[in-house]
Amino acid sequence: MAAPSPSTRKPRRKGKKIDEDIDRVIRTREETLVRTPSFPLAAFLWPARSSSSQWEVLPLILMVVGLFRWAAGLWGYSGFEKPPMYGDYEAQRHWMEITTRLPMSQWYFHDLEWWGLDYPPLTAYHSWVLGKIGTLINPDWFALFTSRGSQDPNLKIFMRATVIVSEYLIYVPAAVVFARRYGRLTGVSIWTATVGLVAILMQPGTILIDHVHFQYNTVMLGLVMACMSSLLAERYKWSAVFFVGALMFKQMALYYAFTIFAYLLGRCTFPKVNFSRLFGIALVTAITYGVLVLPLVAGTIYDTYRGVGSRPDLDGPPPPLPILAGLTEYIDTGSFYYPVVEMVVQVLHRVFPFSRGLFEDKVANFWCALNVVLKIKNYPTELLQKAALVATLLAIVPPNIIIFFRPRKATMPLAFAATAWGFFLFSWQVHEKSVLLPLMPMTLLLAGRQGLNRDIRSWVGFANILGAWTMFPLLKRVDLRVPYAVLTLLWSYLLGLPPTSWNVYTDEGFGGWSQVGTATLHTLFYVAMAAWHVAEAYVAPPLHKPDLWTVANVGVGFAGFGLCYLWCLWRLLKDSDLLPSYATKTKTQ
Amino acid sequence: MSNNIMSEQYPTLAQCALVAAAFKILLFPAYKSTDFEVHRNWLAITNSLPLSQWYYEKTSEWTLDYPPFFAYFEWTLSHIARLVDTAMVRIHNLDYDSWQTIYFQRTSVIVTEVMLVYALQLFMETSPLQSRRAAHVVALSIILSPGLLIIDHIHFQYNGFMYGILVWSLVLARCKTTLLSSGLIFAALLCFKHIYLYLAPAYFVFLLRTYCLSAKSIFRPRIFNCIKLGGGIAGILGAAFGPFVFTEQMPQMLSRLFPFSRGLCHAYWAPNVWAMYSFTDRVLIHLAPRLGLTLKEDALSSVTRGLVGDTAFAVLPEITPRTCLILTLFFQILPLLKLFSKPTWENFIGAVTLCGYASFLFGWHVHEKAILLVIIPFSLVALRDRRHFGAFKPLAVAGHVSLFPLLFTPAEFPIKTIYTIFWLVLFLMIFERMAPASKKPRFFLLDRFSTLYIAVSIPLIAYTSLLHQIVFGKRYEFLPLMFTSSYAAIGVFGSWVGYMVVYFTA
Repeated sequence: MAAPSPSTRKPRRKGKKIDEDIDRVIRTREETLVRTPSFPLAAFLWPARSSSSQWEVLPLILMVVGLFRWAAGLWGYSGFEKPPMYGDYEAQRHWMEITTRLPMSQWYFHDLEWWGLDYPPLTAYHSWVLGKIGTLINPDWFALFTSRGSQDPNLKIFMRATVIVSEYLIYVPAAVVFARRYGRLTGVSIWTATVGLVAILMQPGTILIDHVHFQYNTVMLGLVMACMSSLLAERYKWSAVFFVGALMFKQMALYYAFTIFAYLLGRCTFPKVNFSRLFGIALVTAITYGVLVLPLVAGTIYDTYRGVGSRPDLDGPPPPLPILAGLTEYIDTGSFYYPVVEMVVQVLHRVFPFSRGLFEDKVANFWCALNVVLKIKNYPTELLQKAALVATLLAIVPPNIIIFFRPRKATMPLAFAATAWGFFLFSWQVHEKSVLLPLMPMTLLLAGRQGLNRDIRSWVGFANILGAWTMFPLLKRVDLRVPYAVLTLLWSYLLGLPPTSWNVYTDEGFGGWSQVGTATLHTLFYVAMAAWHVAEAYVAPPLHKPDLWTVANVGVGFAGFGLCYLWCLWRLLKDSDLLPSYATKTKTQ
Repeated sequence: MSNNIMSEQYPTLAQCALVAAAFKILLFPAYKSTDFEVHRNWLAITNSLPLSQWYYEKTSEWTLDYPPFFAYFEWTLSHIARLVDTAMVRIHNLDYDSWQTIYFQRTSVIVTEVMLVYALQLFMETSPLQSRRAAHVVALSIILSPGLLIIDHIHFQYNGFMYGILVWSLVLARCKTTLLSSGLIFAALLCFKHIYLYLAPAYFVFLLRTYCLSAKSIFRPRIFNCIKLGGGIAGILGAAFGPFVFTEQMPQMLSRLFPFSRGLCHAYWAPNVWAMYSFTDRVLIHLAPRLGLTLKEDALSSVTRGLVGDTAFAVLPEITPRTCLILTLFFQILPLLKLFSKPTWENFIGAVTLCGYASFLFGWHVHEKAILLVIIPFSLVALRDRRHFGAFKPLAVAGHVSLFPLLFTPAEFPIKTIYTIFWLVLFLMIFERMAPASKKPRFFLLDRFSTLYIAVSIPLIAYTSLLHQIVFGKRYEFLPLMFTSSYAAIGVFGSWVGYMVVYFTA
């Protein structure tokens, strides 16, 4: 299989011929010459193989995927019946409350102790729109102060619906377009890409976090996916717009920023330096930022003009800035634009919480795992911050250098995944939910060349199941064991992965020692995960170590994610034809 | 698709059942009707009381009113239930719905549905080779039926199990050697749930003609077969009712099983002839002054008009149970005559379907859930040719849309509508492609009726679920219900007429 650089490959016409890739999804039984699907998801889409149009199958897929989301949403959400603070659900609801009931200048200042707004402005606008719609249905849902901790079942239905609608407006179309485009670029048939698409849309992690636990991650992930899709289509300015949108929705999108920068820079440098393209991208980025901040700035100026302060509860001179306090030496606190400066600084302060600890709760990354051996809390914060910075840089530099020198479309998701893994494993203030970020680009590989073959399917499956498993302690807190088990097992069943089937490792015959190694390694992890579940359910941890199971979860999770990072990096290196041995080997094949 | 017949079909029945089961587990916290408490109460009764008091017990208003085999079934379940949560099986613990109870009861519905999977697998395997692909699609359509999803897994009942037994019995009737077991299994089914009595005439005629009488002459009974069948049925009835005869509960049990005091129409109108009758009456009230008809004052003043049970008619004559019975029997006997003269398996399934139709359309106090009595047997022959499929189409739409009022909570609204639309789009599309052309000419009118009928459903669903609330708010709540059931009644009635024609001309 000599792989010509995909960028030189012309997009193929749809359904022209079934290529060799389909053969891997379809297992050929030698003796009867009858083709059979090699995992259940392929079986479900089996009758659609010959259908010439995707438009017959796609609506059905979207209906089924939506049904699973809505049914999962019938279960509880984070913070359900957990006073006094409740959880993420209350946070999102509260933001709808403050954005619709307070003047814009107060959005980022209002009672920060009770789920103060700490996401960038696009989230605030999104909350405002949803809050306005919700107020039309029932104004009590978002009444200032009195609605806090509301457990109204109809409100829950409304909130669940907003997640699904947001996802179907952004994430789902982006995934559909990406899967088609990526599939076509890497030369797989529409049917195979559709199988990959369903696998992407049924990813257990996103459903569990967004539709069960409750958040709007898919909006940000969808915008990043749209950005990646635009990169594939070589619409670089659009990709900048989408990425700025993602970043302005959730700062977590920064995990991808280096890769996008490296890829774009690579595309502007090779084969020849293209300054006008670079300049155009920079300009569009700046303009998008401006446009997205503009409503907030205009709102603040308007509020100042009509005499509404950002903090009506405080009297006297404005309090010092929370960060960048030196600015006041150059700026007159009485000037007309000071409220804008104050607001921008406040947004930065809220969005990037450097003052918080290295990690929150228990998360399966390096620092939390290290904490078992060394008590990290004993070291000075500055040292830890520097250590985190250095470690993260060390982890993300290799994939970004590769993608800069070899900015290929086919390997782009790998670079995204490796960088995001680097951030997840080593950076500051990581959340267990952040694992969705590396999982997203890694899962997208399923729609590409050989995406459903042994190597990629087993690794993507491993990462996703491990990811869901590390979120189990979070889900358990609000009794979400059942949806966790159902959605994770269902996905593993559909893709023919452990723990429901080990066929993925034996399907295509003996594939060398690397295959044996992968199978052994994965099996060890799957056994550990199963054993952990048994222990966690039936064995009480020793008295002096009450967190034993959580710590074990973190340790196994970190090791597994570390492997995923290495695999992504290795695949990236290999597929970029940077290894001399592999380059010659692929040619002789 | 160029697959040869030998190859297995994908997705397999088991794969579909498994993924559907995952979806059903996710539906655990969904709305559940009083039937959930009914079945919990039966667990409690059978577990904590001696058999002699089962049909007398009335602490809860949801007394045991199913035949004995179902009571035994609940008794078996209750042994596991007690291990899961002892509080579940206490009689005085009314409206008890702990998480354990929900897990246990909902899981028992999913697990017992394996019966249906087995029966459908048997149906596929016994189908002749040339129609095996069609049988596969039909089996998938039944296991994924939105009717079963809505009634069993949200509303709560054990229909998957019951229809599993019915399909099993129907499939066994296909082969001469298993006719006896088919009859006996059906007898056992009657001892589980007596609603299947509606289908009994078809069984009686079919078994009489193919099993008890000689194939060559109807005047030569096969005595040994008669003894086997009669003895078998007597044995089953004895096993079911014997203990209750012994404990002298029979009159009490019968009064529970056949409560004749109920009204003509069930709480929500089932989409049958009487729904259309009520609708006509309702329209006539407004036309009466112009037409010079007299109105019955007491019926007009009835506040509950259109919503609750005892319907009184203002213009049209009252309907008595006797009228219902005569009409039902008459329309059951018609197809049975043909079955008697040509006792093929296809005719048998047709006759079962038409018996279901007649009792659903003309019966007294019919429940909308009973539409499965028609849909499931009909599914088995829906793909015989395009004429059958043409008659099946409006039934598939009407039957499932008529179940919508069963679930009225907003959280379940997307599930019932999207799932039903998904099922209709998927299976009507596949059926459309697979149904072979008929040897007989098609009926132009019937085809046009199907298409027009399906088209009307879209604005209707939009109106009943959305527009009505926006326009009228909480007022005239009976209107959407009345429209739904009248619309569905037209569909069921139309498909019945269509199928009668197909059945008699086939």
